[in-house]
Amino acid sequence: MSLSLQNGGAPTRALPSVTTVHATSGGNQRTTRPITTGTSVLGIKYKGGVMLAADTLVSYGSLAKYKNARRLVTVNSRTLIGASGEYSDLQSISDLLVSNALEDRCTADSLYDEDNNEECAGEVWSYLRAVMYQRRNKMNPLWNDVVVAGFRQEPDGTTTDTPFLGVVDKIGTAYEDDVLATGFGAYIALPLMREKYRPDMEEGEARALLEDCLRILFYRDCRALNRVQIAKVTKEGGALVSEPYELDTYWDFKGYVTNKGEIGTDGGW
Amino acid sequence: MFRNMYDTDVTVWSPEGRLLQVEYAMESVKQGSACIALRSDTHSVIGALKRSVSELSSHQQKILEIDDHLGIGIAGLTADARTLAKWMRNECLNHKYVYGTAMPTGRLATDLADRHQRTTQTYVRRPYGVGLLLASFDKNGPHVYQTCPSGNVHECYATAIGARSQSGRTYLEKHHETFPTCARDELIMHALRALVGCISGDGELTSENGSIGVVGKDEKFTLIEGAELQPYLDRLELEGGNNGGDAEDEDEVEAEEKEDDAMET
Amino acid sequence: MASSGSGYDLSSSTFSPDGRIFQIEYAAKAVENAGTALGLRCRDGIVLAVEKPLVNRMLVAKTTGRRIHTVDEYAGLAITGFVSDGRQIVNRAREEASNYEETYGTKIPPETLSARISTYVHYFTLHGALRPFGASTLVAAYDPGTKRHSLHMIEPSGVCYEYYGAAAGRGRQLARTEMEKLSINPARVASGGGEGEGGGGGGGAITVADGVRQLAKIIHSLRDDAKDKPFELEMSWLCEGSGWKHQGVPRDVIADAVEWAKKEIKDNAEDEDDDDDDEEEEVGGGDVMEE
Repeated sequence: MSLSLQNGGAPTRALPSVTTVHATSGGNQRTTRPITTGTSVLGIKYKGGVMLAADTLVSYGSLAKYKNARRLVTVNSRTLIGASGEYSDLQSISDLLVSNALEDRCTADSLYDEDNNEECAGEVWSYLRAVMYQRRNKMNPLWNDVVVAGFRQEPDGTTTDTPFLGVVDKIGTAYEDDVLATGFGAYIALPLMREKYRPDMEEGEARALLEDCLRILFYRDCRALNRVQIAKVTKEGGALVSEPYELDTYWDFKGYVTNKGEIGTDGGW
Repeated sequence: MFRNMYDTDVTVWSPEGRLLQVEYAMESVKQGSACIALRSDTHSVIGALKRSVSELSSHQQKILEIDDHLGIGIAGLTADARTLAKWMRNECLNHKYVYGTAMPTGRLATDLADRHQRTTQTYVRRPYGVGLLLASFDKNGPHVYQTCPSGNVHECYATAIGARSQSGRTYLEKHHETFPTCARDELIMHALRALVGCISGDGELTSENGSIGVVGKDEKFTLIEGAELQPYLDRLELEGGNNGGDAEDEDEVEAEEKEDDAMET
Repeated sequence: MASSGSGYDLSSSTFSPDGRIFQIEYAAKAVENAGTALGLRCRDGIVLAVEKPLVNRMLVAKTTGRRIHTVDEYAGLAITGFVSDGRQIVNRAREEASNYEETYGTKIPPETLSARISTYVHYFTLHGALRPFGASTLVAAYDPGTKRHSLHMIEPSGVCYEYYGAAAGRGRQLARTEMEKLSINPARVASGGGEGEGGGGGGGAITVADGVRQLAKIIHSLRDDAKDKPFELEMSWLCEGSGWKHQGVPRDVIADAVEWAKKEIKDNAEDEDDDDDDEEEEVGGGDVMEE
């Protein structure tokens, strides 16, 4: 799988400050920044499950290019991933994980799916860490921050009902937490989620919190959209991803209406 | 001695549809000292008889640790086994690095068997002359696998390979229905009793020549040898002896049925 | 054997004076002595069945030496002969399926999969440094593009045909005779007044549910339980009911089919003669099945 783009497609003028390419010894050019990108992914654990949220926008520089792109993907019946960053790299990653899941099913001990256990979220997360870290060391990273949600497996191998939530970034840093956010969401949404998080949150509370965060991101992140998807993994229902839907927005806040950027004011927009 | 013209190359089929070179490689497993493995619902145990070439030498190594959750017992060409053990350790480490979990035994056993098979289909390499017993505890619980030079692999509740292993197998067959509920130490005792039957003539099972490997739900793979084995041997002694001669009526059993139809099964 | 000792039968790269390659024929012998493998193409899917002998009672029957393997979402292989050789074919088939999908973005069509497996198997018949596979392969697959399901068989020579009913291994002759009696060939079914098949679906009047029973009956009728070793009956299908996915036939369905098969065999035996020694043997075999 080669992901280097030699030429074409780059809106260089839109982002003049970014170095487009650098020459390596062989004169090859590598991708040094993403082209078509998705913004934040949010993840939170709650009572009995894990929930992810993301909008459906894929931007081309500052252009809102694709408005119905799905960035939350099921990789097996109890594992979900969501990614921000280069959308084509996400497609490549999810192809890889889906084909790995098929291979696992084929090479399992038994012909019967119910006898075999699928890769748990922890293993998917660890696998992605290995892939991302290897790619980064080859100076050819997959340009994503990937959130993995599902259930944990204990070191002795037994699957538990403990929810799992982890993230892997484009250089192979792997991290687990009760609440996670990638992209601009790490700045805007994460503090809010940390404040509101409780381990015993009901599903409805978790969902309301994520929707609030997405709405706030839409207000403040120029690469965000109010068309979103929510996904959850529960023990009973497995991994489920909602269809895209639109969040209500409210633009009549005083701060949005009044221009405070004039001389003698305190800034604002 | 002229036997026939079809038995010198792995790549030549005999007119009956047999691979004689591979069958001969299977024989080399029977040259090695006995090795047995069995499992309960919580533990897997390997037992082996170690040989020494002379009074001045140490006993050989028959049980090798592969990973925290997995060990192997070997019978046949031990040098071949070490090559395979090195490869298996590598596979387990790679799996642990990539997925953060223990290598599933079934997958490792199948890959190992495929490795054996490949040598039986090309001219350049001889088949491995070693039979392996894998004992493990992974996410699906305890497992015992048996591989052989032909590339066949079997998952077993209990099994025995190597010289005079037939009497060990007979013991296991007689008792295997009770194994699932056995406690760890009980399983080890079964292993030792099966081993006693595999000892030739006036030999005796001692803390020198006996070797046990155990792995289970809350126990990493552990070797029990020497002084650590002694308490189990003492217990065996109390039960009624640990010398091979009178353990079982294994002499008639020794009239080995031509076990595995070589490769087919 | 006439070929033996002639010196023309020691390598698959040697032709005999009358134009045969004995090494391939010898490899085929290895399959002829192995457990019976059957495949049946039905109206609404395909059923595979393999008789798996168990060398002793301490084996874990459900996982040990499996003969039926999934190679893709909608494709399954049944192998018989040298099982270790067969696994090599299965691995290759998986690679072919996954490479095809990576390249073209669609599932590999059954004909293409079978053709590629047969190319692989054939390659091993060309060189002196290799030996032909001692295994036959039944390929059951569904093409989501054309919505057609099909059954192929590849033999150690690399030859590959599509079948309505295919058999390999020890009981193949009898099994073929039995399968010919089933209405699976649409040409014959049409003349016999059976249900015709519209579109590209193909297949005869028989359903997979019935196919499972028929194959269980054939495998059981081929056996002499008094003499033969214990065995496990492995069965898989891909059909409308399974969403065209290749998967094991549910164990209770197999158990029902076996029960039905035994009764059928017993009834037939009683019709033919009154010697009822057989039935006790039948029951004896039943215990083994449950393992």
